Amino acid sequence: MTQRMEAFKKALMEAIDEGLLMLGESGREVIYFRLKQSYALKKEDAPGNPEIFVKCLREIFGSGAEVIERAIIRSLYKKLGMEFKAKKGFGFMEYLNEARKTFEQKAGL
Amino acid sequence: MIGIHKVGLLIAAGLIVLYAFQGFYPDFIYIFSNAFPPVIAGAAVVTSGLSLERYWRKAKGQFPVIWLYFTCGLFLWFMGEAIWAGYTLILGVELPYPSVADFFWIGGYIPLFVALYLYVKLFGQALTKKMLAVSIVTAVALTILVTVALLMPALGAEKDLAAIAMDFAYPILDLALFSVALLGLMIFWKGKLGSSWLLINAGILMNVCADMLFSYTTAQDIYYCGHMLDVLFDLAYLSFLMAFYVHTKEF
Repeated sequence: MTQRMEAFKKALMEAIDEGLLMLGESGREVIYFRLKQSYALKKEDAPGNPEIFVKCLREIFGSGAEVIERAIIRSLYKKLGMEFKAKKGFGFMEYLNEARKTFEQKAGL
Repeated sequence: MIGIHKVGLLIAAGLIVLYAFQGFYPDFIYIFSNAFPPVIAGAAVVTSGLSLERYWRKAKGQFPVIWLYFTCGLFLWFMGEAIWAGYTLILGVELPYPSVADFFWIGGYIPLFVALYLYVKLFGQALTKKMLAVSIVTAVALTILVTVALLMPALGAEKDLAAIAMDFAYPILDLALFSVALLGLMIFWKGKLGSSWLLINAGILMNVCADMLFSYTTAQDIYYCGHMLDVLFDLAYLSFLMAFYVHTKEF
């Protein structure tokens, strides 16, 4: 169980890194800096605290954060070998929870 | 961040007061109204250039490119201001309009439009149909309003074709920038970058008003260097300068 969770967190960390790259490397660093400065959250702790991570993004980008969140989710689904399908009413947390559930089910088989 | 807003408001208030009481120092306001725009436009170029340098250092992604376009556009506007000042203060031309300066001002709109477009496009998925509709309706309504307001005075005046074309070109190009900048404002409104986009929109709207009034007053032959409307151009540059400063501070 812990191993599976670690694998999921690792994939999410990589997805966050890749998704934030749409802002450029310096932009990505700014987000990590903000996470640490405003929420005392290190870069590697972001996957364990997705709500805070999203809050940080929204604080800076407003509605524009949705685009970054979507890029992260797409990257995560790809890493987990899952097909991403946009769903009405789904936000970052909903997609993340769905990915986690599907990943756990897959790994459990 | 409150500091920069206070400084900006103080400068804006100072400029308005300076222009409002120009009757007491007409010679000074003539020199100031021609000499100050290249200074404030130059300051805006430097601020944008510093943002460019910052984003360029770790060059990847769209931001360095976007800031390159912003800086190019503002640099062309700075050149326009500098040439205008050269005409009025050095060559003694009373009203250099149209002139080579217009070539740079008009040219500046292209990179500025590209910069705004690339920025908004990067976050385009966050745009809803409602946001797009608001932007289109606002831009179209303002374009109709500006065209109708300028039609009679511009066509009725004894101006050459180039001057009439310029009279319409400036406000309409301003509105083209505004239509994209408004989308940016709607995307980032709830975030910290919203304040930067608010300043960009304010700067563009001030240019819309200033360019409209300039077209109208030159058509009526009542414009002179140091006219109250000139303060709007200065305030627009101040807004752009602050927008880029705030953006670099927040992100």
